[in-house]
Amino acid sequence: MTSVEQVQAAWAAQRRVRLGQTALIAVALVVAVLISADLGEVDLVRLWERSDRLGNYFGRMVPRLAWETLAEDLARWYRRGDRWLRELGVTILIAIYATLFGMVLAVLGAFVAARPLAPAAWACWAMRRTFEFARTVPELVFAVLFVFSFGIGPLAGVLAIALHSMGALGKLFSEVAENADPEPIRGVRATGASWPQVMRYGALPQVAPAFLSYGLLRFEINVRAASVLGFVGAGGIGQELYTAIKSFAYTDISAIALMLIVSVTVIDVVSERLRHRLIGAASLRAAA
Amino acid sequence: MTRIEAARAACPEAFPGRGWRWYARIAGGVVLAVMFLWGLSVLGFSLDRLSRGLARLGGVAMMMMPPSSGGLAWTYVRGIAETVAMAFIGTLVASILAVPLGFVGAKNTMPLGPLRFLTRRGFDVVRGLDSLIWAIVFVSVIGLGPFAGILAIAVNDTGVLAKLYAEAIENADADQSRGIRATGAGRLQVMRFSILPQVMPVFLSNTLYFFESNVRSATILGVVGAGGIGFYLMDRIQINAWPQVAFIILLILVTVGVIDAISYRIRRRLI
Amino acid sequence: MADPAPSGTFLRLEGITKTYGAARALDGVTLEVARGEMTAVIGRSGAGKSTLLTVINRLIDPDAGRMTCEGRDILALRGRALRDWRRRCAMVFQRFNLVSRLPVLTNVMTGRLAMRPLIPSLLGLFTDEDRAAAIEALVALDMGPHALKRADELSGGQQQRVAIARALVQEPQIVLADEPVASLDPRNAEAVMEALARINRDRGITVLINLHSVALARAYCRRSVAMSAGRIVYDGPTEGLTPPVLERIYGTADLDAIEDAA
Repeated sequence: MTSVEQVQAAWAAQRRVRLGQTALIAVALVVAVLISADLGEVDLVRLWERSDRLGNYFGRMVPRLAWETLAEDLARWYRRGDRWLRELGVTILIAIYATLFGMVLAVLGAFVAARPLAPAAWACWAMRRTFEFARTVPELVFAVLFVFSFGIGPLAGVLAIALHSMGALGKLFSEVAENADPEPIRGVRATGASWPQVMRYGALPQVAPAFLSYGLLRFEINVRAASVLGFVGAGGIGQELYTAIKSFAYTDISAIALMLIVSVTVIDVVSERLRHRLIGAASLRAAA
Repeated sequence: MTRIEAARAACPEAFPGRGWRWYARIAGGVVLAVMFLWGLSVLGFSLDRLSRGLARLGGVAMMMMPPSSGGLAWTYVRGIAETVAMAFIGTLVASILAVPLGFVGAKNTMPLGPLRFLTRRGFDVVRGLDSLIWAIVFVSVIGLGPFAGILAIAVNDTGVLAKLYAEAIENADADQSRGIRATGAGRLQVMRFSILPQVMPVFLSNTLYFFESNVRSATILGVVGAGGIGFYLMDRIQINAWPQVAFIILLILVTVGVIDAISYRIRRRLI
Repeated sequence: MADPAPSGTFLRLEGITKTYGAARALDGVTLEVARGEMTAVIGRSGAGKSTLLTVINRLIDPDAGRMTCEGRDILALRGRALRDWRRRCAMVFQRFNLVSRLPVLTNVMTGRLAMRPLIPSLLGLFTDEDRAAAIEALVALDMGPHALKRADELSGGQQQRVAIARALVQEPQIVLADEPVASLDPRNAEAVMEALARINRDRGITVLINLHSVALARAYCRRSVAMSAGRIVYDGPTEGLTPPVLERIYGTADLDAIEDAA
């Protein structure tokens, strides 16, 4: 065989294998889509039939604003504005407190759940399972249970999001802690410091920027999560939104949604800046 | 004492002084503490409520034991399958729609500033609202059932994924694009042969990651009537059928755990 | 063969053995260290020198053997008593093992953690006494002006002196130095060795120091212990490290080759 023929033969063989794999994946995907479409009651005909209703729905959300009567129109659109503003404030407050509590619990647990740092293997295992449970159960499920136990109101919402955040952050934090430089930790341990002291002085300073950055990211997520807690009576603006949607108060829906979108976007932008500064500073340090 | 004074003389900054800085820090601390307590009271925290709530929660946990399907195991399994199906189709549709939108929203592939700006703000609008909000909107338009949930996931994730894709495209290596352009390729060909191969693994791994997270969020869409296991969960809590609630939560835990494990494997192979 | 102890045996190791899988890091090490001595431990890298020091500090527990300090069983110590032992035998590491994001002063004060109650120490509250001790130690090592800098702003030699200051504020009876100058240039190495010799001479603190360089052992230590494959193969006055003895330890008597091997 000439070398050109060899290359061609190898190419053809590789192509056959590739084609086989691709075909297999494609068939699997199509089957999965068909089964899922059946289970999910996908009905494109209905979507088509209702598409004008959908357009109509969003169209009616647009408030009537005229340039000459702008002030009055805006006042009418936001006639319940002060109430919504207060509920929006509560929503953000829920997110702040839930993130704070979740972070504190996650920091405390993360060092126990980090394999090279854990004081005992059984504690490490138990902490990891706790984080897993708290992270897997959606916050709204916790919220429903907590509304039942703690009563209607933001208290249940804070606890629900805090618990879920503890799980999500705890996993991330313990991964960060596992990657901490062991040498300084050994240095502090060799002075005779006890386990909490070793974590506080040997490990925490190393991981603090990453912890804060993940905490801010979680805060962004939690603001969104807090906005729907009201659907199940766990406080915040969700209650107002739910009522508006259920009673087809179209301009109220758009008014509240706009407030939510603006505040979420502002929080995202500010928090992203802070995160970049934290991580940027940390990586600069690593490079130095 | 003289020892401490000598050290203070050698390095005064090492000792926290009683100057205005110290007082300012104390004052700042007090203000923060007051604000913290004020926030707690606004949110309705009180020791009494917490202790009574915990006791009640403990009671609920006791009543959950042992978990039981109450003879409805098949219904619940079908509910969870419906949940996974919703997450699957929703993510798939979103990840396909998000690719072209991502290219429109990225600086290096979309030269028209205003169009890019509008697209990006569009992502923000869609992203800013939780999928549960989209779910009730679609329930009111399309009607009850999992299809409304699928649409909610698809719309919400299109916004989130398109933003991530646009960022990945902007971070793609410009030198490689220049290399392709040097061969005489047009703009679309550069996208296809330089940028797409670079960002494809990011696209795929993000898609899988969102599938995982969507299974989680799909479990609660039923709370507003948008299909899946959430409907049963809400209903069983309302009628206080605690062993069945525990059964459903366990079912969710197992399903999410299995999907996470599979998706983690695939993602590791992709990167 | 050993020197007559200047003021009695301080630390006694008997048959200390530590294995990692199939590898014997320490193989029946028996050693006596007298109070106030400055002893060098030499040998190729991988001879078990570092393991020996970490076992003495009890960062690692040996598989077999006995270890006593002034007659007290060190291997039986648990909890508070163990942490107090670690405080009494301070360690200095090759890579300094400082917490880079903390100020020098705080790094030094971590040497006081074992003496402080838990809650205040976790809140970062140190007494004026602790601060004074840290400043004193830093000044004694010519590091006073750097007290408020972050540890990672300092050069290697400066960081190692901070690490020695941390050891000093522990008020130790013995300092275990694990290759303290191996990562330093000659000028800094000399400053660090001088500092260790000074705390041994002026404060009477026992020093056990792992060295890769026979020349440094000759310059600073009267007694040397040589290790090879986890065993002690020489224990006696440093002058006794004659070419034939070095040949037995390193497989060569060429000093340059020894430095390269270490």
